[in-house]
Amino acid sequence: MRIRFALFTALALLALVGCNRQSQAPYFEGKTLTIVVGYKPGGGYDTVARLLSRYLPKYIPGAPTVIVQNMPGANSLIAANYVYAQAKPDGLTIGTFNRNLPIGQLLKVDGVKFDMLKFAWIGSAASETTVLAVRDDLPYKTFDDMRKAKEPIVVGATGPGANTYDFPLLLKEFLGVNLKLVSGYSSSADIMLAVERKEADARAGSYSSIAPFVERKLVHPVIRSRASEPEIANLPTDESLAPNPRAKAMMALRSAPEVVGRPYVMTPGTPDNLLNILRDAFVKSLADPDLLAEAKKSDMTLNFVSGDQALEVMKEVLNQPKDVVDEFRKYVKFGE
Amino acid sequence: MIESALDGLLLVLQWKALAFMGLGILLGFWVGLLPGLGGVTTLALMLPFIYAMKPHEALAFLLGMHSVVATTGDITSVLFGIPGESTTAAIILDGHSMAKKGEAGRALGAALSSSLLGALVGALALALAIPIVRPLVLAFGSPELFMLAIVGLAFIASLSGHGARGMVRGFIAGGLGLLLATVGQDPQAGVARFTFGTLYLWQGLDIVAVLVGLFAVPEILDLVVRGSSIAGDNTRVGKVGRGVLEGVKDTFHHFGLAIRCSLIGTFIGITPGLGGPVAQWMAYGHAVQSAKTEEERKGFGRGDVRGVIGPGAASNSKEGGSLIPTIAFGVPGSASMAVILGGFFLMGLVPGPDMLTKNLAITYSMVWTIVLANIITVAACLVFLNRLASLTNVPGELLVPVILVLIFIGAYTANNQYGDLVVMLLCGGIGWLMVVAGWPRAPFVLGLVLGKIAENYLYISVARYHASWLTRPIVVALFAIAVVVICYPIWQARRTRRARA
Repeated sequence: MRIRFALFTALALLALVGCNRQSQAPYFEGKTLTIVVGYKPGGGYDTVARLLSRYLPKYIPGAPTVIVQNMPGANSLIAANYVYAQAKPDGLTIGTFNRNLPIGQLLKVDGVKFDMLKFAWIGSAASETTVLAVRDDLPYKTFDDMRKAKEPIVVGATGPGANTYDFPLLLKEFLGVNLKLVSGYSSSADIMLAVERKEADARAGSYSSIAPFVERKLVHPVIRSRASEPEIANLPTDESLAPNPRAKAMMALRSAPEVVGRPYVMTPGTPDNLLNILRDAFVKSLADPDLLAEAKKSDMTLNFVSGDQALEVMKEVLNQPKDVVDEFRKYVKFGE
Repeated sequence: MIESALDGLLLVLQWKALAFMGLGILLGFWVGLLPGLGGVTTLALMLPFIYAMKPHEALAFLLGMHSVVATTGDITSVLFGIPGESTTAAIILDGHSMAKKGEAGRALGAALSSSLLGALVGALALALAIPIVRPLVLAFGSPELFMLAIVGLAFIASLSGHGARGMVRGFIAGGLGLLLATVGQDPQAGVARFTFGTLYLWQGLDIVAVLVGLFAVPEILDLVVRGSSIAGDNTRVGKVGRGVLEGVKDTFHHFGLAIRCSLIGTFIGITPGLGGPVAQWMAYGHAVQSAKTEEERKGFGRGDVRGVIGPGAASNSKEGGSLIPTIAFGVPGSASMAVILGGFFLMGLVPGPDMLTKNLAITYSMVWTIVLANIITVAACLVFLNRLASLTNVPGELLVPVILVLIFIGAYTANNQYGDLVVMLLCGGIGWLMVVAGWPRAPFVLGLVLGKIAENYLYISVARYHASWLTRPIVVALFAIAVVVICYPIWQARRTRRARA
């Protein structure tokens, strides 16, 4: 009897272990995970995605194949709509796109068929700080010097909706600085060349893209947006100089998405256990010394922003009173 | 400087660098040959592989691949009339017409030898320009770039048919191209223009889809209707081997033209912001100008070998040129260069003045890579040319399905969207109508590729300088060139008429 009982228990245990084994056979094993990028190959969003695609398998149980698929068009609205509605919520599709999509949703841009709050948020791989940098040979050492300028200071820009345009536009509108925005340059590198040949005096853009030219003593940053990086922590922020709450709200709204500089999301309805596996894999990948070494080589500063934090930022952007949105609409358009 | 040039050569000649270059060439060969599979995309895909390489090895790999793409892209354009790359469409007009006359071998020989010549001139220009490159690039501001676009548009005059009627048609086609260039979100007000409520059109029309439709679709229809092979009854293809040699001889016969078109390509490459597709068309326009009589002019577009040599030379020489702003300023001269620039950072090289002093040997190793990769490719191609040219003898019914698949894939890979196919088919319809009605397609393309450039730089010039930019010396000089380019065909026509009278 005892022996039988013991045998039975042993069998039962074995069965249980077996079952467990089966249910624990990693979900991702032998599967292919796709990262959908809202831009053509070669840009910043694409580069980060390709870097991650080589490290993620290491940290996902079952080591799935991770591939990058480019789905460019309409400032990545097409990719976002796809990940939101057409992809299956099976944890096998990740989307990364334009950080300004929440602005697009806020301004009710035609073609937005998603709700940023409903995506299954993995988080962000980096935050971006926008700075305004002015040419070294001009007599403007600080932002205060610029405010005293009588001659208009020419700021080269790509176009509305990009940080090269929107950031200086709000500075001009609210901080009483004599800026003249000239847009139409095809890329930020193009603007830099215009600064070098003295066609433009200043340019705004993400600090990471301007830093090499600061080292070369071509330009120096004078003012930055909210998110910060150690080297430029001492610069004044646009919000700290805002003369009234309205101005501050405009600036805060413009810069909020920058905290979520490289957003990574999954299709709404993705099961929590799969989302958690990926969140976990993201944290670990972004702490991988090899990945960080590679990122450093290509001048990328990566830092993880959690999915919950990202969602907070989305809420902040999207839960604005109507009058603020209407005012914001006057200055900022959705783009790039 | 000569010492650095030698150091650069030694860097490239190390066996590892050579091996990587060989690998790059092999990849680039196929990428260029297959339409749609673009050089830029492939470069981006290859970037992760260079982490473990030394800078000169990585550059040999990337540049080796990159320099080959334009050369083999010409082959597809000539044989099938499908642009192998968006930068190799101009060579179709005469190159493919020659293939249809049974002179595929000669056309390929001319295309390859001229592109080798172009690459050498481009590399030489790069090597010579290194000491003066910074002032040279800085002299070209937005007003100058705008005028350069105008010079490009002026070439419509020589790309149009002869006579008043041809001229009017040419400029109407050019205007239509300019109009289509405005599709998409504009960079000044952020307004979506002519997008008809679709997301697809926000980014504007994709040049690859447009070119494939405009040029490949009419050729396919023609092939189906004729029901024969591309070369038809012209059985000269049997002597393809001799044809190739003839093409090579042609290039040397028109040596001056090849050199001038190489210089045009180099110059367009140096100027950041004009973009690759422009170079071939301007070179083609210049080649057409070389026609001495009206009869000769009529021959262009129907298989004049000069219409092959000009664009062939420009397509490769611009690559050497576009390295200049990339190296010296960190401003890429073309989309491919933007990716290579990413590679620079990976290798710990910072573009800028350092590349012209401290890292000069590496800069020269790039020049050598371009030279060697092109020599190797052209030599390898010459071996295959017989086989390639005999493809024009394959019966149409066997060829058409393959070409159809290629052009659909080619257009689709532009953005991976069905919209690309719609654009391709619509442009195919437009292209067919233009061919049937005898309207020139070249001005249309020129308008399309220059439209955005002209618009943006005009806006910047006026916003920044009001009217004072009009008196800048280079602007005035370029304007004079534009006037000459427009008036030359008219003057030429008058002269021949007088000669006859």
